[in-house]
Amino acid sequence: MADLMRQYSRRQFLKVTGAAGATVGAGAFLAACGANSGASVAPTSPPATTGPVASEGPTAAPTGTFNWMTWGDHYYQAQVDAIAASNNIKINPTLFSDNIDAYTKVKQVGGQLDMVSGDALWVPHYFEAGLIEAWDINSLQVSSQLYSIAREFEIWTKPEGYLGYPFGWSPVQVYYDPANVSPAPDSWEVLLDPKYKGRVVVEDQPVEIMAYMGKFSGAKNAYSMTPEEIAKAKDLLIQLKPNILRLANQATDTIAALKSGEAWIATGNLGTESRVKDQGGPELKVFTPKEGTIGWMDSEMIVKGGANESLIMPFLELAEQAEYIAANFILNGRPLFNEAAYKILVNQGQQERADRFLYNKPETVHTMDLKGPGTSTQAVIEAFNEVFGA
Amino acid sequence: MTTDTRSGADPAPLAGSARGLRSRVGRAAPFLPGLLMLTLLFLIPMVIMLVFSFWRTNNDFDLVRDWNVSNYARFFTQATYIRTFIKTLIMASAVTAAGLAISLPFTYFLVRYVSRRLQRAVLLAVIVPFWTSYLLRVYAWQAILGEKGALNQFLMGTGLIDKPSTLFVYNDLAVFVVLIYVYFPFAALALYAALEKFDFTQLNAAQDLGARPDQAFRHILLPQIRPGIITACIFVFIPILGEFLAPTLVGGAGGSLIANLIINFTRQGQYPEGAALAIIVAAFVTVVLIIFRRSLRVEDVVTRG
Repeated sequence: MADLMRQYSRRQFLKVTGAAGATVGAGAFLAACGANSGASVAPTSPPATTGPVASEGPTAAPTGTFNWMTWGDHYYQAQVDAIAASNNIKINPTLFSDNIDAYTKVKQVGGQLDMVSGDALWVPHYFEAGLIEAWDINSLQVSSQLYSIAREFEIWTKPEGYLGYPFGWSPVQVYYDPANVSPAPDSWEVLLDPKYKGRVVVEDQPVEIMAYMGKFSGAKNAYSMTPEEIAKAKDLLIQLKPNILRLANQATDTIAALKSGEAWIATGNLGTESRVKDQGGPELKVFTPKEGTIGWMDSEMIVKGGANESLIMPFLELAEQAEYIAANFILNGRPLFNEAAYKILVNQGQQERADRFLYNKPETVHTMDLKGPGTSTQAVIEAFNEVFGA
Repeated sequence: MTTDTRSGADPAPLAGSARGLRSRVGRAAPFLPGLLMLTLLFLIPMVIMLVFSFWRTNNDFDLVRDWNVSNYARFFTQATYIRTFIKTLIMASAVTAAGLAISLPFTYFLVRYVSRRLQRAVLLAVIVPFWTSYLLRVYAWQAILGEKGALNQFLMGTGLIDKPSTLFVYNDLAVFVVLIYVYFPFAALALYAALEKFDFTQLNAAQDLGARPDQAFRHILLPQIRPGIITACIFVFIPILGEFLAPTLVGGAGGSLIANLIINFTRQGQYPEGAALAIIVAAFVTVVLIIFRRSLRVEDVVTRG
C-alpha cells in the first residue's frame, strides 16, 4: 500500500491530469470540427462578453463564462483550463462549505448563478423550492459513462426529469490508529470509550455529529430525529465530549491531527487514511460502524433562470468525461459515479485503491442515511450547544 | 399689508437662518460619508437583525414573520447560554487585564527610555503581525502549543518534561494565551499614544515633593493616561465578546465562547435564533460602551491637546 501511495506524487498527478486534458480536449476539438463541418464555432480567442455567445450557424456551440457555486473538489484547474482552451467555456466558481450555505444563497440570488452543487436530499429540496430545473439526463452523451444506478436515483427522479448530474459520494467512516486503538472497533461506541480521552477528532459540523450519534442510538432518520431520539443522541454527545481533542474546522485539520499522532480516532470521508499516509502519517485502519452510518452523494444542478444556462450542458459533456473524473479521483480520493473512469483507473493499475474506496460499489449509497435538510435542525443545534457550551 | 409686513419684517432673519443652515450643512458635510457608512453597514443591519430575532425559521429555512420572544427566552431559560456568556465575559476581562498588564510596562519603557528612532522600529514590530492574516496567526499557535509543537519540543529538549504535554492547547488556557497575543498590539498602540504625550518630569517632581514611586504612578501617571487605558480596554474587551475563531482553533471541545454558539445557529440557517443571541451581546456591548464613555471625559482629551 505504501508503494501505491507513493505513486501519487505531484509530478505524476500533473502527468495524469495533463494527459486527461489533452485527451478530452482533442476529443472535444474533433467532435466540434465534425459537428460543424469545419466551421469555426468555438473561437480560440476569448469572447468579448462573459455571457454565452451565439456564434454563426444553427449548430454553433455556445461559449462564454458561467457562474458555478460548488465545492473545491468538483473540478481542478488543469481541467477547466483545458475546457476553456478547447471550447471557450469558462467557469466563475464560488466555493461554499455547507449545503445550507449554498441553498440560502441560491434562494437570494437565483438566476445570477447558473449551476450549483448539492447533496442527496438537498437536491429535491432545491427542486421543490423552485430553484432548479429538471432535465433529461440521457440527453447528455457523457451520462452513458455513469453507473446505471446513478441515473436512476429515486430521490432525484421527478416526472419532469432528473434533478442533477451525479458526481461523487462517500459514507462517513471511523478511522483509527491500530497502534493505539485496540481491540479493533466496529461500532460508533469507540468514540465514547474513556480510554481515548482527548484523542478523538470530529469535524465541527453539529448536525452531522448529532446525526451519527443518532445512528448509534438507533434513530430512524438521523437528519429528522424526534425529540426522544435527539435526547438519546445528546446523552451520547455528553459522553463523547471529553474524548474530543478538537472540533476540526475542515478535513485538513483532521488529517493533520491524525498525522501528528495527536488524534488516534477520527470520523471522515472515504480516503482519509490515504491522505494521512500520503503526508507521512501512521497507517490507519477504517471501518463502517455496524449501527450504520450517514453519508453524502452530490450532483450538479441547473439553477432555474440562469443567464448562462446554455453553457451548462456543453460544459458537463466535457467536464464529466471519464479521463477528468479518473484524475479527480486520484487527486481527491473518494468514489465518483463515473463507471468509465473506474475502468481507466483499473487500466492504470489503480484498482486496489479504487476498490478500497468502494468506487465499484455505488450501491453502498443505499445503505447510508443521506444528507439532507432535516426537520430537526434547530432542536439538534440546541442540543449540540447545550453540550458544547460552558 | 399683512403679507407685506410679514415679507418686509423677516428677510434678514430668514436670510440669516438660511446662511446658518448652509453653514451647518457645510460643517456637517465631512461627516456624511461616515454617517452614510454607519447607517448602511451598521444601523440598518442591526435593525434587520433585531427584527429577525423576533421571527422564527421553518423547516424550509425560510424566515417566518411569526413575532415571538422565544429566541430571547432561550438565552434566559437554558443555563448553557448564560454560563457561556459569563465565561465569555470572564475571558474578555482576563485577557483585557493581562493585555494591559503586559502592554503598560512595555509602552512605558518604550516611551521613557528608548530613543525616538528605535521607538518607531519597535512599534513597527508590534504592527507587523497585522500583515499576516488572523487565521494564519492563530493556526501558527497550534504548531507552537501542540503535542508535537515547538513548546513541547523545547521543554523536552531542555529536560523539563519527559513526554509531550497535552495541556498547552485545546483548552481555555490556550484560548487565553492566543487572545492575549492577538490583542496585545491594540492595547500597546492605545497606551503608546497616551504615554507619548505624558510629561515624565511630573513623576520626578512628585517624588521630589515626597511621593513614593507607586504614589506618583497612581496619582500622577494613571489619571493622565486614563483615556489611553480606556481605549485599550474598549479595543480588547469588546472584540473578544465576538471571538469565535481562536476558541474554534485552539479551544478544543470545551473552549467555546458565546460567539461559537451563535455561529452554530447561523451556519445552519437558523438566523432568528442566532440573531437573538447576537442582539443580547450587542446590547451588553452598548452598555459597556456607555460606561466607558462616561469614564472617558471629554475634557481629558481636550486638555491633553
